[in-house]
Amino acid sequence: MSSIHSHIRPNTFLFLRLPSDILKLLEILPNTIIEVGKLGSFPSNLLLGRPYYHTYEIRAKRDGEAYSRLRIVPPGELNADIVAEDATPSESRGEPATPSVNGQSQAYDVVSEDGTVVVKNNRLTIDDASRQALSQQEIEELKKSSGGNEVIEKILANHAGLDEKTSFSKAKYTLRKTKKYLKRFTVLPMDLGNVIEYVMAKEAPRIMELREETSGLMMAWGNVHAVVEDEVPPTNDGRRVGAGRWLVHDETGGLLVAAMAERMGILYVDVEEEEAQQASEEVKATEAPEAGLLQPTDGALENAPPYGTSAPTSHNDFPLPASTNTITLLHPAVQPNLSLMKYFGYDTNQPNPVHPMHTHLKPLSWLQLLHPDLDATYREPEKVSDAELRTYKSGKRSTHYKKLRRWSRCKAIVDETREGGFDGLVIAANMDPATILPHTIPLIRGGGTVVVYSSTPEPLIRILDLYSKDRRTAYISHLSRGEIPDSEDFPVDPRLLLAPTVQSTRARAWQVLPGRTHPVMTSRGGAEGYVLSARRVMPVEGGVEARGNYGGRGKRKADALVGGVSDAGADAAA
Amino acid sequence: MASEIVSSQQSSAAPLPREQAKPSPFFHTPPATEADALAILHLKRDSLLPITLRATADDGYAEGAVTNTRFGSFPHSTLIGLDWGSQVRASKVDTGTRGRKGKQKQQRDQDQDDSNAAAGCADGSTKKRKSDEASLTDDISGAPAKKLKQLADGTQQLPTAAKAPIEAGSGFVHILPPTPESWTSSLDHRTQVVYTPDYSYILQRLRVRPGSAIIEAGAGSGSFTHAAARAVYNGYPGSSTSKKRKLGKVYSYEYHEPRVQTLRQEIHDHGLDSIVELTHRDVCNEGFETPEAPSPPKADAIFLDLPAPWLALKHLTRSSPGSPLNPSAAVHLCTFSPCIEQVISTVSFLRKNNWTEINMFEIQHKRLDVRRERVGLKEEGLRGVNASAATVDEAVQRLREVETKLSDFHANKDVANGRTSGKEKKIQSKAERLEKIRQDVEGRKLYKEGNLVQRTEPEVKTHTSYLVFAILPGAWTEVDEQACAEKWPVGDVMAGKAENGGGKSGRQRSSSGGISLI
Repeated sequence: MSSIHSHIRPNTFLFLRLPSDILKLLEILPNTIIEVGKLGSFPSNLLLGRPYYHTYEIRAKRDGEAYSRLRIVPPGELNADIVAEDATPSESRGEPATPSVNGQSQAYDVVSEDGTVVVKNNRLTIDDASRQALSQQEIEELKKSSGGNEVIEKILANHAGLDEKTSFSKAKYTLRKTKKYLKRFTVLPMDLGNVIEYVMAKEAPRIMELREETSGLMMAWGNVHAVVEDEVPPTNDGRRVGAGRWLVHDETGGLLVAAMAERMGILYVDVEEEEAQQASEEVKATEAPEAGLLQPTDGALENAPPYGTSAPTSHNDFPLPASTNTITLLHPAVQPNLSLMKYFGYDTNQPNPVHPMHTHLKPLSWLQLLHPDLDATYREPEKVSDAELRTYKSGKRSTHYKKLRRWSRCKAIVDETREGGFDGLVIAANMDPATILPHTIPLIRGGGTVVVYSSTPEPLIRILDLYSKDRRTAYISHLSRGEIPDSEDFPVDPRLLLAPTVQSTRARAWQVLPGRTHPVMTSRGGAEGYVLSARRVMPVEGGVEARGNYGGRGKRKADALVGGVSDAGADAAA
Repeated sequence: MASEIVSSQQSSAAPLPREQAKPSPFFHTPPATEADALAILHLKRDSLLPITLRATADDGYAEGAVTNTRFGSFPHSTLIGLDWGSQVRASKVDTGTRGRKGKQKQQRDQDQDDSNAAAGCADGSTKKRKSDEASLTDDISGAPAKKLKQLADGTQQLPTAAKAPIEAGSGFVHILPPTPESWTSSLDHRTQVVYTPDYSYILQRLRVRPGSAIIEAGAGSGSFTHAAARAVYNGYPGSSTSKKRKLGKVYSYEYHEPRVQTLRQEIHDHGLDSIVELTHRDVCNEGFETPEAPSPPKADAIFLDLPAPWLALKHLTRSSPGSPLNPSAAVHLCTFSPCIEQVISTVSFLRKNNWTEINMFEIQHKRLDVRRERVGLKEEGLRGVNASAATVDEAVQRLREVETKLSDFHANKDVANGRTSGKEKKIQSKAERLEKIRQDVEGRKLYKEGNLVQRTEPEVKTHTSYLVFAILPGAWTEVDEQACAEKWPVGDVMAGKAENGGGKSGRQRSSSGGISLI
């Protein structure tokens, strides 16, 4: 499992981080050419089998070769500049770095002609392009003839004012030139953090601006984790409660599902299984040398999954869903939108039968959940007698069986979902979550987790208000008077969620450089991203009187919270 | 404070060798609560109490095992056999006499029981002035030593028969299955705790997945340990399906002996023995290599919560023979340091030792306080509201009333004891007005009145620690490169013979040819 990202495997998606810090997404196929904009182009085979997280440099083309070759830049070389700058090795003494004399590092100072130390500043900086002795034309020439490193060295050497610069601006200048001329990129695997970074830069609304830290927080509060099938002891009474089943409403294009699948160990194809498959493929390839590389071009395989040439066998198209460690996905449209999942090797249109999601993902539409009788897929296909079936042509017969398989899968999913007993509910929705909860909360087991994401706080605040202490108290008093609470005032049963909390988290990036450590100057704005977390609870019939032992500090707190809705159930009824 | 009750209970039960089959309550809980299960009592927001449910009494209560909280007493017999998440009413339990007089086994009669219950369960009228924390559990848990002694005595005197508990009139808790989050907020702070916003991001960034191996040093209070165990868990060793796949494991190190003892007991009680391997060791001086262990950790991820991470980092290289790192894949690192100087030293060390993708972050987390704020003159005299005028109109209206009242007052004085009954009715005294407001409030739907507002919660953790992330890429040698070059030859391509989108239908190709750049 964890070794899936040790080496670059063919037919997978990956990212290249370019010197400009932009991520480039690509699918790597054997025997093709990878073009990386102005950095150049190189054969994909030079990356295949190589390790992730290394930085590769595109070398100057050799004579007689059509493309450039690559070189792995040793990590030591990447950090060499900064290490050289960092003159005070402090870790050997086992204590934190301390600034040198007078709190001013040597790097700031320069000795003037009369021998006194003056601190460099930018008072005399001349902002003029003429300070660079090389013309643009000369630089272009240089780029053709030599490698990125040499270009940068020459440019720096030809800058008249470099010595006048403070170390800060010198570093900035060098960095700018490095980004511009160094033909390097870092290869990063297809994982959740990188996908988020990539989509966030391109089309953030597609994933509801769900940041990595927020996704992590949701997975924690949602208690999303793997549950191993044979370690779930069977229940005596046949109740299906807590077998690692999560109920999800995802409008982030599959990002949320991917995040959960990652935590549940069902996001990636088992490497060993895949390798076994590839081995058999290679056997085939040696038998028919051409066929191994050039796939048949007929329409059926046009979009075949990248995990093998074999089309899904007929009995794998609608498999019966797994019973544990599953994600049940509620989708508002006819088909679920899991477009991002294709980067992880699972395309909902052409599901790869080897992928764990094929059996562990259970999609159903809102119609199927609320009104299954109105859904065509849920309706049992007409029964056909064996005798009649024998008269069918093979095509019609297989269509019939396919229908049956589709129906039995759909029925299994719908019935099981409506039965409830889910371990948790995870929602990221553009639709009002307050309309989702009344239908889904009752399906969650007692003590189960509920997590709702919203890019803005308002929808979650409304939910908190629906579950407020005052509203709950009023609801209970309606019940105790034998009244049915008004569904307009009480769209949800306010007793079913415990301590709902709205929170927001943000990871702030810092620059750590010798003598220049500070938070980064700019970062992405946009939606803050809020998470509501709560636990599903089972109220006592008839309601209970709250009590509390308040004295001193407690009393003051109680006063402060009167009228608040963020109060927990057991608080004093002040 | 809160978990003292638990730790003492747990230590009183002899650490029995647990049968391997017993799954951890953190990964799976059966539908209903069972005896000997770990449960979290949710008292109120941010006030959680972990308990182990006991079917038998060991501390002298007539009702069997009892947990006392500020919201009442809960005999475990009322907690066992419920659906998880159930709300449970408090019971009348004689806490007072037993708690104070302690060891003497008393013959309680029912009357005494009731009167003591009333006195012991401090309801609103008995305003005991206690600190917030001490009042969480009742007075017996205040002094752990005393409690332990009582427990020891309690075990000797076997209870005759558990009395059926009687429901108290008020007070309740919710009983929840444990999660790393609820454990984190309820655990006993032995050291600074790594909280959920931090550990959730760390585990996400470290790419810890089911089946990963993670090194954690120091373990501290064990909050990260539990979260990491959940993240790596993909089965217990020895079960049938787990034969072929690599099982996730947390290799945890801690150099403080008493903390190791406590954490080891907790790990055992939580059924995590086979997931978490806790070692008592100073990793800065002694490193991570464990000669006695069957195999090195082969860690995919490392989390260092140490004062000087760079001292431990020098033991985390691939060059040493028994290297604890995964030899084939990249290793993800996170260090957790509160001070910027520690960060600078750590980063400097990482740069010199071939780590890449070095980044530093700090997590800023806040919770929202949401409430309905009611403003207006009609709120006068009510609690938790702002009783000033809500609008200009309201203010003017009130001012006019005052004016009228004043002029009427003078007019009345002039008329002097005359026919004033009609006018006097109109003038409402303040007491009358407040009384009217109090009566009106009964019929109002306060839960949907006022403005729904949010603000950041009163207390914010503005700084926990700085998180330094780094990656040590997998080793790559000339030999590897040779083998790889043979497996993926480029000879044809380099000679310009490669098909560049030609000869194929262009499956998943961009128009520029070559491989698809999306």
